[in-house]
Amino acid sequence: MRRFGQKLRKWTAEVLDLPQDVVFDLPRMTMIGDRQLYIENHRGVLHFSPEKLRLALPSGELEVLGQELVIRGIWTEEVFIEGIIVQVQING
Amino acid sequence: MRLSWLDKMRGVVTVRLRGNGLESLMNAAAADGLQLLSLRRTSLDEALCGLRLQDLFRIRPYLRRTGCRLRITGRHGLPFMLAKLERRKFFVAGMLLFFVGMYLLSSLVWRVEVKGNDKISADLVLQAAREEGIYPFQWSFRLQPFDAVSKRMATKLPGTAWVGVQKHGTKVTIELVETTTPDAKPLMSPRHLIASEDAVVTHIMAETGRPVVRKNTRVKKGDVLISGLLGDEEKEETVVADGTVKGLVWHEYNIVSPLTRTVKVYTGERKVQWFAVVGGRALQVSGFGSAPFGQYEKVRQEQQAAWRGISLPFGRMKQSIMETRLEKRPVTKEEARADGLLQARADILTKAGEDAIIRDENLLHEKTENGKVYMKVLFEVEQSITTEMPLVHIQGE
Repeated sequence: MRRFGQKLRKWTAEVLDLPQDVVFDLPRMTMIGDRQLYIENHRGVLHFSPEKLRLALPSGELEVLGQELVIRGIWTEEVFIEGIIVQVQING
Repeated sequence: MRLSWLDKMRGVVTVRLRGNGLESLMNAAAADGLQLLSLRRTSLDEALCGLRLQDLFRIRPYLRRTGCRLRITGRHGLPFMLAKLERRKFFVAGMLLFFVGMYLLSSLVWRVEVKGNDKISADLVLQAAREEGIYPFQWSFRLQPFDAVSKRMATKLPGTAWVGVQKHGTKVTIELVETTTPDAKPLMSPRHLIASEDAVVTHIMAETGRPVVRKNTRVKKGDVLISGLLGDEEKEETVVADGTVKGLVWHEYNIVSPLTRTVKVYTGERKVQWFAVVGGRALQVSGFGSAPFGQYEKVRQEQQAAWRGISLPFGRMKQSIMETRLEKRPVTKEEARADGLLQARADILTKAGEDAIIRDENLLHEKTENGKVYMKVLFEVEQSITTEMPLVHIQGE
């Protein structure tokens, strides 16, 4: 039943041309150069230090590497990060 | 930490969080809608962040649950500023007092000005205004409506056609328009015009009254020229006689004119003094000491510095002190005579009035004695010969 639901959703997304993140519950990231990163649809902070930030995602986790990282704001589903961002990596 | 104005109004504290479960604290706080601003990790078990004042009281249960500790390191925003002001009561009181004083002082009338009065004295207008409640140091809010006030003042002040009262800030301006009234005629009692000198009438013109003499009549001092009495014996009326009467009058002059003339001359001896002039003030530079001459004259010469046609406010001044001497010079007989006659003519014109004309002059007698010329001259002058005589009407005569 669950598999069928997933299939139906995928089909609807293709037919109606909907954005993937809305349909599949994926994170949406907005990055401004190497200084600001805005992440929507996360599931909490796993680790936070000035060099590294790990965030839980609906499936897997997100790793942001950089220097002098600062969380400008954190809300239930969004995080706003500032600093010198070097690397963004998704571990499925 | 950059703060929005809304955050500043509500108040923000910067806090230092300490503990092992910092990440779980973040997640729990974010899930509940608490906002951690500018969160940054300083070491493994420590983080700095900004926290809204309202969130500070809500974060306590999460702190306890995650085993973290909180320490406030900085306070920003209006609530903390107010708390600070509460401690400085006299400062706040002074600030309030300033505004209250400013308001009170600006709601006073500081000056009352009167404009457009020419004949009516300003004091009179100010007095009337005072009765209407307009005077310096009156409260602005106690002033009555100006349209009614100006109407009442116009009726109160005689000789005004219109009164306007206006208030500009702390100044009240009272504007007047005065009524124009013709000048009153001077009051005169009935009179004759009589002769002031023995003369022969050359011209008579009566404006009011009855001319008594005619042209070429010889009159004596005190004779009536224009009568102020009209009518006959039965019906008599007195008027103010007016008009012009001119006549030939003889003036006999004994003139004495010396044959020497005193003249002031420069001896050639002089002393020069220099002054520096700056802005209308002179400072002596050279030629100090008092003048070494008995009689002297000072001549000043000023020179102002100029640059391209613009006169500058400094310059120099030269003062020459020149010695003078009185010298007696001989004069010829003719010159002495002319001098004497000139003086006599000037004297006649000042005595007989500006409109007098010298018709003739006769040199009756002349002799030279003791270095002087003695002359007897007869001047024939045409001049006004009227003077007034009041008519005293005695009842029952």
